[in-house]
Amino acid sequence: MPAPESALLEQMFHRMAVSRAIERLMLRHTREERFSGWWHPGEGQEAAPIGATAALRHDDYVWYQGRGCAWAIGKGMDPLPILGDLLGKMNGATRGKGGGVPHWADYSLGIMGEGATLGSVYPLAAGSALASKIRKDGRVSIADFGDGTASRGTFHETMMHAVAWKLPLIYFCENNGLLVGTRTEQVSASADIANLAKGYGIPGVVVDGQDAIAVYEATSEAAARARAGEGPTLIEAKVTRKHGHYAGDPQHYRDPDYLKDYRDPVDILAARLSGNAAARIIEQADAEVAAAYEAAKAAPEADVSVIERDLYHVA
Amino acid sequence: MSHEVMGYNAAMGLGLVEEMRRNDSIFIMGQGVVTGGWFGMEKGLVAEFGTDRVLDCGIAEAFEAGLAAGAAIAGMKPVINMGFGDFALIAGDEIYHKLAKWRYMHGLDVPMTAVIIFPIGAMGGAGPEHSSCTEVLGMHFPGLKVVVPSTAADAKGLMKAALREPNPVLFHSVQGLGWTRSDVPLDPDFVVPIGKAATRRAGQDLTILTYGSMVPRALEAAERLAGEGIDAEIVDLRTLVPLDWDHALESVTRTHRAMVVHEAFRTAGPGAEIAAQIQERAFFDLEAPVLRLGAKDFPLCQIAELEQAAIPSVDAIAAEARRLAAI
Repeated sequence: MPAPESALLEQMFHRMAVSRAIERLMLRHTREERFSGWWHPGEGQEAAPIGATAALRHDDYVWYQGRGCAWAIGKGMDPLPILGDLLGKMNGATRGKGGGVPHWADYSLGIMGEGATLGSVYPLAAGSALASKIRKDGRVSIADFGDGTASRGTFHETMMHAVAWKLPLIYFCENNGLLVGTRTEQVSASADIANLAKGYGIPGVVVDGQDAIAVYEATSEAAARARAGEGPTLIEAKVTRKHGHYAGDPQHYRDPDYLKDYRDPVDILAARLSGNAAARIIEQADAEVAAAYEAAKAAPEADVSVIERDLYHVA
Repeated sequence: MSHEVMGYNAAMGLGLVEEMRRNDSIFIMGQGVVTGGWFGMEKGLVAEFGTDRVLDCGIAEAFEAGLAAGAAIAGMKPVINMGFGDFALIAGDEIYHKLAKWRYMHGLDVPMTAVIIFPIGAMGGAGPEHSSCTEVLGMHFPGLKVVVPSTAADAKGLMKAALREPNPVLFHSVQGLGWTRSDVPLDPDFVVPIGKAATRRAGQDLTILTYGSMVPRALEAAERLAGEGIDAEIVDLRTLVPLDWDHALESVTRTHRAMVVHEAFRTAGPGAEIAAQIQERAFFDLEAPVLRLGAKDFPLCQIAELEQAAIPSVDAIAAEARRLAAI
């Protein structure tokens, strides 16, 4: 599988830098601004979504889990609708329905949304994958999930059918080794979620989730396989959750030196860029996010009209 | 356009077939739909539409309902035959969160068509996990439309309406009525609008608000009552969400007495909400409290006679109506 060309590399790095700037901003914001929402920091895990989304087509479907913001950024969403949403403003992606748990969706970008009952997107992703199979539109669907929700019943229900029907579906696991505070091996016979693929007779690929290029390559292969009608792949990106389960989590369950071997995905991808491109892009991303934050703060607060909006569609 | 006498399930199937011909985004999935279906309604579908649009799946209700949500979000029009209404509980997250709330929580005002068929109610000894009337769940959780046809014509017309509806519909087919036959319009543009009740029998003395399996029983009870000088009006609600309050209140404010009859459990059943709202909205037009008849608050037995003894009979409806008329 070829490595991404330099234009794509720069785009990936830009989106990663934007995601990182939002992560840093949200940690500061929750600490200093008495943020009432539930923010689940994704700092340190950006390479997995950035690498995966870079391997997808514009119209491929992404159903993501709720840590961080890099899936939506990676698929092309701007920082403003994300920050507007997190701050509960009317200019957010959900137009006032937000506040911490991400429900950013833009169907025109293939950003299908997030299920806040964790691990609930497997069958939904199979639904869009089946739609693609029926329509023969060549699109691929990604069900993104954390290692903790590999124990969900619908993981198995959906995989059974997706394999039998050769659906254009990718199971994408971000394994950070922690189910809130529970270690994966306490609830799973295998430390590798990818091992589960063996029982279904599909490829189960473990990839370095701190390296966006490695994730890009694995996802490109899985997407090609899906588009060729060969069915699902299970990708497991080994990632590092740098912060707590939620912003402010005291993390009593952590080994105190858990970050001693930490490898930052921004540094790893920056090393692939030439010249001073990385520094230039980071500066640009920081400025974009700062401007979006100001625009979000200045936007109108969600008002009570939000409560009775979007329940039923009127043709 | 002509009419034909046909069975309730067959009419529901005809509605589905006609809409599948009109719109190639519609597909149906369930257990045994390729091979003809448990209830006969899918017969012949695969021959006409192929296995891309007619799919058999495993016993995996959460998957089925979740797939419907995802496919509908992606612009398809899925129809899932859940086999039994009881199985709504297995797919609770997928139905009452994903189908009902996805657009709401993502702030999207977009169409989303999906039809989940829940066969409900007693069918002659199917037992406590295959006879539940789960329609009240769709009333409680906002975001879904809820229909319960009582005639073959409505089974067809409401299925067609559900497939033209830009919102998810829980379509409760009544197991006890599945093989009952009545007149069905063959016009492919015949649709029964969601949210419209129908008066099945006009009367002056009291109103029986009912739906589904209890409609024919209420009509039979009304004929007996007529011989005793009690003139009962029978309103078939047909849709529970949105409920046709205008129709219900027009009848009740004219007869001044109302009772709600359904096969679902009496406690916290649909009748609790309906009776409460009638009392709130029409208190000063009422001559008597709004009464409720529903199933005994016990799981249904497998012995067919015990099953029937637990749900409202024609005798029980007539007796309650006499009590109402005498208050």
